[in-house]
Amino acid sequence: MQMPFDAQDMDTDEALLLAYGQGDARAARVLTLRLTPRVLSYATRLLGGDRAEAEDVAQEAMVRLWRIAPDWRIGEAQVTTWLYRVVTNLCTDRLRRRRGMGLDGIDEPADTAPGAEARLQHAARADALQQALDGLPMRQREAVILRHLEGHANPQIAEIMEISIEAVESLTARGKRALAAGLAGRRAELGFQDD
Amino acid sequence: MTDTELEALFAAGREATADPSAALLARVMDDAMAQIEGRAVPAAAAVAAPLAPARRGLLRGAFRGAVAALGGWPSMAGLASAAIAGLWIGYAGPAGLDTVTGALWSDGYEVSDLVPSIDAFLTEG
Repeated sequence: MQMPFDAQDMDTDEALLLAYGQGDARAARVLTLRLTPRVLSYATRLLGGDRAEAEDVAQEAMVRLWRIAPDWRIGEAQVTTWLYRVVTNLCTDRLRRRRGMGLDGIDEPADTAPGAEARLQHAARADALQQALDGLPMRQREAVILRHLEGHANPQIAEIMEISIEAVESLTARGKRALAAGLAGRRAELGFQDD
Repeated sequence: MTDTELEALFAAGREATADPSAALLARVMDDAMAQIEGRAVPAAAAVAAPLAPARRGLLRGAFRGAVAALGGWPSMAGLASAAIAGLWIGYAGPAGLDTVTGALWSDGYEVSDLVPSIDAFLTEG
């Protein structure tokens, strides 16, 4: 649906959040349309593609944003950084609960679904990547997703994950090595040729 | 797998975004509005009755506020019973009631007995 042009579309997340904190419903609409897709994508990636659970997380994270709006302290953190941290924590809790319930699919080996070859190659690659990501330890997965899929810089990732920049670098490096090793056997299937 | 190949996978992964459904967006927006309403009601109550500080966050909605002010749902149940009983007594005028009112009123209580100052008010016209 094409939304009408709105001057608020140009405002920063923080300006909109402050306006919403003052009761501005239009600011809430812009923030909803701007942030929900990002939050949902990130949650979906962290939760191994579980769309229903990711929607729950996205809604919960946005509720927490609405709740904190009146008390938001200007300049203390970026809204997206704060939100990604909330999503990270919510997903971590859910993944731990899954593990506790014995329903953990996180560490299962990558599944080569029949029919993957027939799909568009980039879709097959995205699927393979998601499966490989699901096999990573939680913190490595968070760091790799934030860096390489969500496109955050290391200092911001450090803030989201509440660790040092060096720890972020270490996690992403180890994560990438593990991904490369995990996907090595699927190179041909994913359309990569030996030189 | 080389870095270049891995980067090709990341590029594919970045394309695979999860678009939120209209239902999810509506739920998120509903939550936002509910929070605004929840904040607006105590603020309005504080303006209307500055001597009674609003209990922020506890009252959500004017009706809920009124119920809480009367002592919550148990009081509302008592209030409803009394209202219905009064309506029934007024409509049916049960005979036994005369005994009660006779005992209470027949000894000659006037309004002025209950509100002495009304006498002066009435005589001066």
